[in-house]
Order: sequence, then structure tokens, then C-alpha cells
Amino acid sequence: MPSQDILVIGGGPAGLEAARSIGDLGFKAILVEKRDRLGGTPDEAQYAALTPDLRSAEEAMNEMIQAVENNPNVDIRLSSTVVAAEGSVGDFKVTVKNGKGEEVLNVGAVIVATGFQHFDPGRETQKYGYYEYEDVITLVDCEKMLKAHRFVRPSDGKKPERVCFIQCVGSRDRRIGNEYCSKVCCGIASKEAIEIRQMVPDCKVFIFYIDMRMYSYWEPQLYWKAQEEHKVNYVKGIATEIVKKGDKLLVKGEDTTLRRPFEIPMDIVILSVGMEPSKGTREIAKIFGLKQNKYQFIEAVGAPMDTVSTSVPGVFAAGACTGPADLEDSISAAGLAAMRAIKTVRENGAKKAS
Amino acid sequence: MGQQMIPVEELIKSQKQPGFKYTPEDAPTEDYRDILFQLEKEGELEVIRVPEPYVEVTTKYGRKKKIPLEHTWHHKSCGQCGHIPGYSTSIFWLHRQFGFDYVDPSDQTSCTAWNYYASATSNAEAQVAVAVRNFAAAHETGRFPLIHCGTSFGHYKEVRHELLHHHDLRRKVRDIMERLGKKLVFPEEIVHYSEWVYAMRDKIAERQVIDMSHIVASVHPACHYHKLVEEDAIYDPEIYGAQRTAIVTGTLKALGIQIGEYSSWYDCCGFGFRHILVSRDFSRSFAVQRKIEVMKEEANPDIVVTHDTGCVTTLDQSQFAGKAHGKKVGIPVMSDSQIAALAMGAHPYKVLQLHWHNTENRPFLEKLGIDPDEKWREFEEALEKLKSGEKQYLTWEDADA
Repeated sequence: MPSQDILVIGGGPAGLEAARSIGDLGFKAILVEKRDRLGGTPDEAQYAALTPDLRSAEEAMNEMIQAVENNPNVDIRLSSTVVAAEGSVGDFKVTVKNGKGEEVLNVGAVIVATGFQHFDPGRETQKYGYYEYEDVITLVDCEKMLKAHRFVRPSDGKKPERVCFIQCVGSRDRRIGNEYCSKVCCGIASKEAIEIRQMVPDCKVFIFYIDMRMYSYWEPQLYWKAQEEHKVNYVKGIATEIVKKGDKLLVKGEDTTLRRPFEIPMDIVILSVGMEPSKGTREIAKIFGLKQNKYQFIEAVGAPMDTVSTSVPGVFAAGACTGPADLEDSISAAGLAAMRAIKTVRENGAKKAS
Repeated sequence: MGQQMIPVEELIKSQKQPGFKYTPEDAPTEDYRDILFQLEKEGELEVIRVPEPYVEVTTKYGRKKKIPLEHTWHHKSCGQCGHIPGYSTSIFWLHRQFGFDYVDPSDQTSCTAWNYYASATSNAEAQVAVAVRNFAAAHETGRFPLIHCGTSFGHYKEVRHELLHHHDLRRKVRDIMERLGKKLVFPEEIVHYSEWVYAMRDKIAERQVIDMSHIVASVHPACHYHKLVEEDAIYDPEIYGAQRTAIVTGTLKALGIQIGEYSSWYDCCGFGFRHILVSRDFSRSFAVQRKIEVMKEEANPDIVVTHDTGCVTTLDQSQFAGKAHGKKVGIPVMSDSQIAALAMGAHPYKVLQLHWHNTENRPFLEKLGIDPDEKWREFEEALEKLKSGEKQYLTWEDADA
């Protein structure tokens, strides 16, 4: 039976914004989230501060969550997963499973906002030793420490004297199949570098990069600020290997400006891990039969002019499930997806009514 | 309250605890076996199956690799036979101890890979044809090729890629094989002898007669084993969290040997193929300064264990130059097959033939409770049979006498 309800899958920034927008415009949104709480990756990975303004991630996400929770037009289903779907635009039958059993939801349109997952640096075997060395961590681990206001060497709890970031781990790497730039890692590394310098002023911070991709205002907000105000050292070069030397990590690589190899001891190495489609994104794409690109992200078939339509009419995608995205991208796309979904169900309702 | 009772660094460490496990579906490279068996179906070539019994091991991307235990055709190494013959003798000795069927062929063709990696030879069809000729020779005996040499092992893996992806190359190689009266065959797996030692490590440990628990060994993994066609190398979550190849280290751990970590483990031994030919001083310097001295300073091991001809010779035979310059050298170097054989009681001179090694290894033997003087006397006693003309060469009976 045709429906004007809209299903939103995923309770992260994009899903929250989509659900809120649908509700604000007077349509019913059913928000399905597999975890037992809303907030998505910023909450699950315990982000400390958002890029680029260093606003508390918890505060920002709570604001978004409350906007949805207080919206009478949004029906929130936590600890629920989509397991099957049939039908077509205007009349989808989507099976949602939770602890109590299965329920078939009848919706007119669907917005997929199932996001990304961080690249697991274990796949970069024998280069960075993430699973071998306790003091090799990721951007995500670093966020956790910054949020806890405790930035120390995991191996012994001591304050670090030298820390470095290695950029493009799991991104721009043909060898592992992720040829794309993950877009946000340069900005996040610069943001975290500033926070480390603020938290541990005696600690020297280095960023090893192929080239820094600081989009738009991130250049003055983060890149120059990190260097000029916080004395973060940017080194153009590729770190090829990390080995343990005494209680330090020896970072080996090549300084491509000086054209010579380097070996620099560090207390902590932070791997700037990129984005990959989340397990949920891959599963939902299969359930709805959505076209995926070669990296398994959901393809926005009308891009660049239409960034939210998928290969299945009536199913839209927003946020990092369509590819690496920052918060601005995700929120903007979510609003667009809400608008397109509402247009779809309104047309559908009008057609059926006539 | 939102307070964390456990320090954040402990949470981060605990999240890493399960280690990393690759799933074959995430592998960034093709599984060559899909193509190999498809080509066999199409009649393009014949696949030599891994004979039973075999052990399945896990390779870098989580795929399984079959390691045959016996019915093997031993593809020897020019450098081993020429410089460190106890290396291959130890491999054969181990096979004999377990009563395994194998063939030590006399019709093997040298693989030409060393020259290839030193930019000195050749053309694609010649290189593939040499590999296939050896595999065909193995197949004719009903055995499976087991490659002693790391250089050949690496080269054959590269050759496999070329052969499987180029129809025209297969046609040319098939023509060459026809002239030699042989078929175009290719093995299901390309297996290095050290993978056999790894697969046998627990069985070897069961028959260990020399306690090695007080020994510290530093491992040099061979570049051609784990850097070249890297998905073919053995990885084990139990060893270095599957972040480095488990080869050699897994074997040593099974023998109770402690691993001496050092920071330049990933570096080449110094051999470098081209370097050892045209810039040998560089090889010597690299081996001493980037490997042996670093090991000495950071781990001070009793021994260096590796698994390739070039690595054993370079690490062992470069130390004399360092010694002359007052460098911190003096660590004996052996292959995993030699250490495994020694652990099972092989004779250090008749089987391991340590007298061919350059760096002093007597203190190492003494630390194991082996009297090198007594063993040398036994070896000389055996040599008397040659001097007297009673024998032309020593036999397995002499080795175990």
C-alpha cells in the first residue's frame, strides 16, 4: 500500500539531519539505528572535538540527537537492523529486526545513511605495526585520548616528547585498492596536532604527508594555525616503516623535499586512517540492490549535480555511505535527501489520490 | 558521571588485543589459483597437484596454502650447493629422519633469477621456460617441486603471474616445451623449503634432543620470500600479530628459542643481487652496519637465523670485513634447516657442515653443550675414509655414525 512515511537508516550525523528535516517539514520519519543509541561514528568512536572549529563533538551530537528525540514526527527504532526489502518507489516493504522480532514497515521512500568505517591499519602489514607496537595508534585512538584529557604513551602511561602523524594510511594507495583520498584526514590530523600541542606543550608534533589537502577554510582554520600558532612541523615525505628501537618507535621514510631518507625516533605514531564503506553500508546496498562503486560505496548515480539519488528510484543516500565525506558534506546531503524523499512521497500520494 | 575507571590508554590497548585477521574476501590481489585451474579446464596447461599428506598454512591475506610433507622434488640452490652445502644437506637430513619420500634430482636447470634481478638477463619466454622445464622434470618423477632457493622461489612466483596472464607467452613456452619433449605444467602452489620446515615445526620439536631455550636468535626474513609477491608468504596471528611473516620465527619459537628483536629486521641483508655482483663493498658494509651491528647492539643474539642462500652467505661472510675494521660483529649465521637439524641431533660438521661458514660458531655450539673439538675429531675420522680411498664421498650412514 502506498505510503508517505520515509525510512531513514542510520542514526549518525546524516541520518539525524535527514530525520529531523523530514519531521520539521511535517512528514513522518522512521529512524532505524542498529546500536542502542544515536550519534553514529562520532559517538561510537568517542570523537573529542569536531573539525574544523574544535567544538565538543559530544555537545554537537547531543544537540542533533535532541532535535530528533523531541520531534513528534520522528519514530526512533534503536537496536534495530534492516534485514530485507521489497517493493518499489512509493510502496516499499522493509523488514526491520530487533530483540522482539521482525516487523515489516511500509514506507514510500528510503534514505540510507549508514556511513563509513575507519580503515584498519592491520591491513598495512609490516609497514606500521599497529598491532605490534602499543604506541602506534590511529586518529580514532587519539580522539579517545584527547576526549579523556589524557594524551600519554599507551605502553607506559608517560607523557610523550615527540609525536608524529602519518597521512594517507589506507587512502590514495593503489596497492591495497583504496585509490581515493579520504578527504578529512589532513584536517583531522592538523586539528589533533593542535590539541596535542595544547595539552602537552613540551611535546614536538610532526605530520608526514604526501600533500596536505586542506579544503576551503581549513587552510587558515587549521593548516596555518597549526604551524604558526602551535608550531606543528609538516614534513613532506613518505614514512615507509615503523620499528621499535628501545622504548621509542623509529620512523623510517623519505623526505621528498630534501631527497634523502630519514630515521626519526618518536614516542607515539598516529596513523591517519582513511574511510571505507561500513559493513552496514555494504549490507544495505545488497538488500536494496543499490549500485556500488568499485570501492563498495553506494553510487550517487546523478552526481555531481544530484548527490543523493541511487540506482533504485525512491532510495536516496546521504553522508559517508556514498564516499569519503566531512560533516558539512554529510549534513548538506542529508537535507537534500530529505527534500528529495519528501518530493517523492508527495508525488506518490498525489498520484495515488487522483 | 561519565568518568572512565580504566585509563584510556588501557582501553586502546585492549581494543587491539584480538589482533588483526585478514579475510580472503578483503584481499587486494587475485587468487592466482582461480586462473590456474580455469586455464587447466581450457586445456592450456596441466596443474601439478599438491600431493598428500600436506599441511594447510595461512598466507598474508588469509588464504590457505598447501605445504606438501613428502613426495617432493628438491629444486636446489646454486649458492647453497656452492658455498654452504650443509644448508641443503640439513634439509635432506630432516626428510630422512622422518622417513619421507623425496627426490634429489640431477637434471635440474639453474633458474637464472639472480642474473634477472641483477638486470643481466633475459627474455620472458626463456625465464618461464626454465621454470616450467624444472616443474615438468619434477612432474615426470611423480613428485612435487620444493624450492630450496629464495631467489628461485621469488622468481617463479613472478613468472607465474606472467604465464597466467599472457596467452602469447603460454604459446611460446608450450612450443619450447614441445621441443624438449615436455608438457606445459605448473604447480598448484610454489613452495619454499622453509615453509616445509615451518609446517613441520611441531614434529621437529617433538624429536628435539638439544635444549635451545637459553638461546636468543635474531631473524632475518628474506626479501624474496615476503616482499616479492607478498600474498604468498605465511602469516600467523600468533606471530607478530600477523603483521610480519611468521616464517623462521614460528619455527624457532617451536624449538623454544627466544627471539631477539632488532630495529632493522625489514632491511635487506645486503646481498641485493646487483650489489653483491657489482658493488660488493656496499653489500659488506650494509650487512655489517645495518644488520649485524644493529642486532648486536639491540638484541645481542647468540645466532642469526635466516632462510635464503644469499642472506646466509652475505650475513655470515661479510663479518670478516667488519672485524678487520673493529666493528661489533661475531654472530654466527645459519639457516632454519640447519638449526632444526641441529636441534634434532644432526652432526654439526658432517651434516650442517659448519666449517664452510665464515663467522666463528664454536662458542655457539659450546653454549648448546656440544663439544666442537670432539665433533671435529669425528668428522676428520670420517674424512680418513676418503683419504685412504675407502670411499669417494661420505654417505648418510657416515653422517649419522
